[in-house]
Amino acid sequence: MFEINNLFFRYSRNSGYVLNDVSLSLSPGETGIILGRNGAGKSTLFKNILGQQKPESGKISLNGEDLTSMSFRKRALYISYVPQDISFGALTVYDSVLMGRLGYFNIRPGQEDHTAVRNIIEELGLNELAWRNADELSGGEKQKVAVARAMVSSPELMIFDEPTGNLDLANEDLILRETARAVKDRNICVLCSVHDLNRALDFGHRFFFMKDGHVKYSGGSELFTEEILRDIFEVDVSVEHIHGRKVILGAGLNR
Amino acid sequence: MGTGSVRISSDYSLMMNAARRKKRTVIIVLSAAVLLLALTGLFTGSSHMSLQDAFSALLNRSTPANNRIIWSIRIPRVLAAMIAGAGLSVSGLIMQTVLGNPMASPSTLGITNASVFGANLSIIISSGGFMAINPFSASLSALIFAVISVFIVLGLSRIKSFSPGVVVLCGITLGAVWTAATTILQFYATDAGLSSAVIWSFGDLGRATYTTDLFMLAAVCGCSIVFMAFSWKLNACLSGDSAAAATGVNVPLLRFISLLLSSLITAVCVSFLGIIGFVGIICPHITKKLLGQDHRYTIPVSLLTGAALLTAADVFSRIIGNGSAVPVGAITSLLGAPFFLIIIISGRSGKCLK
Repeated sequence: MFEINNLFFRYSRNSGYVLNDVSLSLSPGETGIILGRNGAGKSTLFKNILGQQKPESGKISLNGEDLTSMSFRKRALYISYVPQDISFGALTVYDSVLMGRLGYFNIRPGQEDHTAVRNIIEELGLNELAWRNADELSGGEKQKVAVARAMVSSPELMIFDEPTGNLDLANEDLILRETARAVKDRNICVLCSVHDLNRALDFGHRFFFMKDGHVKYSGGSELFTEEILRDIFEVDVSVEHIHGRKVILGAGLNR
Repeated sequence: MGTGSVRISSDYSLMMNAARRKKRTVIIVLSAAVLLLALTGLFTGSSHMSLQDAFSALLNRSTPANNRIIWSIRIPRVLAAMIAGAGLSVSGLIMQTVLGNPMASPSTLGITNASVFGANLSIIISSGGFMAINPFSASLSALIFAVISVFIVLGLSRIKSFSPGVVVLCGITLGAVWTAATTILQFYATDAGLSSAVIWSFGDLGRATYTTDLFMLAAVCGCSIVFMAFSWKLNACLSGDSAAAATGVNVPLLRFISLLLSSLITAVCVSFLGIIGFVGIICPHITKKLLGQDHRYTIPVSLLTGAALLTAADVFSRIIGNGSAVPVGAITSLLGAPFFLIIIISGRSGKCLK
């Protein structure tokens, strides 16, 4: 169980709260999706969870353990992260994935680290790419390597910042399917920020709509109503049902 | 699954061995080059000693004069070139990594400017007769100011948790302050004081003694061992602060220790030898061009490329100087710059200039 309770954060004492009483919770095996306009506080929330920023007050806990006071190293055993801009510093795919094990080894990776890397590379079908320079791969392949790096530490919570931002439809599908499988097979939590509302509906279990640093609505897909979406995104949309699926349509410019 | 994983792991070890073999070859070739250049350095000089004489002097079997030239002048000088070259190079590599900036170099934090000020202060004051002249005092004063400067920059950057932009800007600003202070000092200096102060800042390997070599060796070796232990964490740094933090690296702490140690190397080298430009920026880039960015290899290899470059520049400076060596600091920049431009402009730029 991943829980955030009454989290407050601001960058300096004389600026406004960027996170203003954020609370959310996620059960193992669930994919939680954070939605909101740019500047709603999604990235800042991730920084707080990853320990790059210290919250002013509030609690972040994973299976009962407090994350806010945890060292980077220990936290890395529980949480992993797939950033939006992915780069690997010209390392090979193998070494880039091995980096995900840094929480476990100090100076030299051990046999169990190499085994974990081999297994995850095989699982995600990265064998062919293993000795390529990871920075020279295509966007979809890079994303896959980043997911492998995140999974190799067997985390209990994975955080994705816009996982499908730079991907074509097929790669987007692939990444989301792999992620969904990992969530189910390993019974872990995934917390994800997504801009595409229909994609979010596709693979999310719980939704957190953020506005002005606050989780204003949280719940299941029933939250996708015209009123709530208008409130959060400040734009008119229509919610339709096509083949039994909920579809969000933008207002459109050509009508 | 069982047989599959066996097949794959044997493939892995094959590929791994191929990659390692290439890296080992680079290391062996470079080590041989350093050794060869160092020997050339021992046999080059203004005294026109024959090769045979130089060899027997190396075994202390030549004339006392020749023995002295080899053992008290050439050996400490060649050692200084190797150690300082290696140190400045690795220091530049680490700065570039932790600041995420391909233009970072050992002088980014204003250390060089601080050493110059320190040396100028000591030389100019002593030339006025206020202080006893001691050849070591300029270096000592340079070192003190360099270390002070490092702590000011890192202390200020701490407030913003060592964000790379802040570190670089603090370094540049403080460097400008030291340069301004030096200018004021030089304005009030006597002619003799001014000229010796200016000459001090030309990097010159002729100042090296066994004592200074030992100090530099201790700094370079000690810091390089720490850098090697950090190599995986430094690799993580290449994928950005957030990704590195998520893999368990305390990025601000890593940045602090790395900047402190690489500044220390630079402070020691510059204080003893004067400004030796460009080694710290060009050698890391040559290294990355050869081997990519994996710090397990780039750290030892940049030590070697630095040692090779500075030793070569020293030999060259003694050959063209014809009697008195041209300041090696000028040679490294003069020869290094065009070479560097060729490297940057040719080939794939993505690999080293990200």
